Amino acid sequence: MLRLLHAIMLGLIGAGIIHIVVLLLVPQFSERDAWSRLAMAADLYKVVRFDARRGDAPVVRSGDPLFYSAACRFDLAEGVVHASAPGRPPFWSVSVYNRAGQNIYSFNDRAASDGTLDFVVATPTQMVEIRKDVIDEFRKSIFVETELDEGIIVVRGFVPDDSWNQAVSAFLDRMSCTQR
Amino acid sequence: MLRTALLTALILAIAIGGGASSVWYALDRPDGLEAVKIGGWTAFPEIGTPEADPYSQARTARQGILALGRAEGISFLAQYDSSGERLRRTCSYAFEGHVPPARFWTLYAADDNLSALDSHTRRPSALHSYEVLRKTENGVSIAIGPHPASGNWLKIGGAGAMLLVLTLYDTSIANSTGVADVDLPRLTKVACDA
Repeated sequence: MLRLLHAIMLGLIGAGIIHIVVLLLVPQFSERDAWSRLAMAADLYKVVRFDARRGDAPVVRSGDPLFYSAACRFDLAEGVVHASAPGRPPFWSVSVYNRAGQNIYSFNDRAASDGTLDFVVATPTQMVEIRKDVIDEFRKSIFVETELDEGIIVVRGFVPDDSWNQAVSAFLDRMSCTQR
Repeated sequence: MLRTALLTALILAIAIGGGASSVWYALDRPDGLEAVKIGGWTAFPEIGTPEADPYSQARTARQGILALGRAEGISFLAQYDSSGERLRRTCSYAFEGHVPPARFWTLYAADDNLSALDSHTRRPSALHSYEVLRKTENGVSIAIGPHPASGNWLKIGGAGAMLLVLTLYDTSIANSTGVADVDLPRLTKVACDA
């Protein structure tokens, strides 16, 4: 009897250890995280739309039905990434996520001098190079400096009513996400 | 000999079974460690950031969430009305009070997975602050339910439990520790369909 109790105690301690180990391993080995889902849908630097309001199941779950969203994956080891889109929805916001889907940096349209979406994500080393000689294309860009290698850019555009559908859709469809 | 083997098997069964199932149980619950509760509303200011606790991080990875950043906004969820009962799609509710300062906000109804409800019409089960009517002193009153109402109406269809999600965009409260100090509108039950 005592040995059985002893075994159950050992089992419970083991359960605690396994609980902690599994918990810490889930983010590393998850195949359902945002990065993996986007990787299944499109290549690096390809813009993928994921809207709640469109009929088919979205690639990544997006919350607000009054928003359209688009994402692209990048790898700064290959060079800086430059994203821009023409047009101006009533509100847009950008988030940069790391490989694990954690939000590293975010800003909205008030951060842009003329309200248009145009930004560059670069590592501190790449920033030094850019600052030496800002090329014409980056003159109006917002610079996001981060230590990331792989990451995800997400742009969200507000759709107040149906009359904005087309404009905001076009804004996201014409968004470019290019490696420089 | 056989007894030792049986006991070892028991230890392993408890350890592996208990350890793994307790993780799934913890990750399937919608509330987290860092939840901020205000009235009936819950917010997770840390979710999806590198500062989040391990449970939130695991949940973010498992569900493939891309959480709103601090410069974008902050979401508050309501699962219960002011009397503590689960929100149901067949009931009507009154959303009354003041919304904290933000550039604009949206309110939508969602299922337990936080996907927006399908209203089966062109009208989404969502409202935003640019289209709602205000009362004097900037208060807001919204009728939420399956039956049309005068003033502001958030249309709900179907049956079963639901959640309400209030998201404030471009707001200063998302940036600081000020999340806990704000007041949010109350959700009171008005009536239910039998």
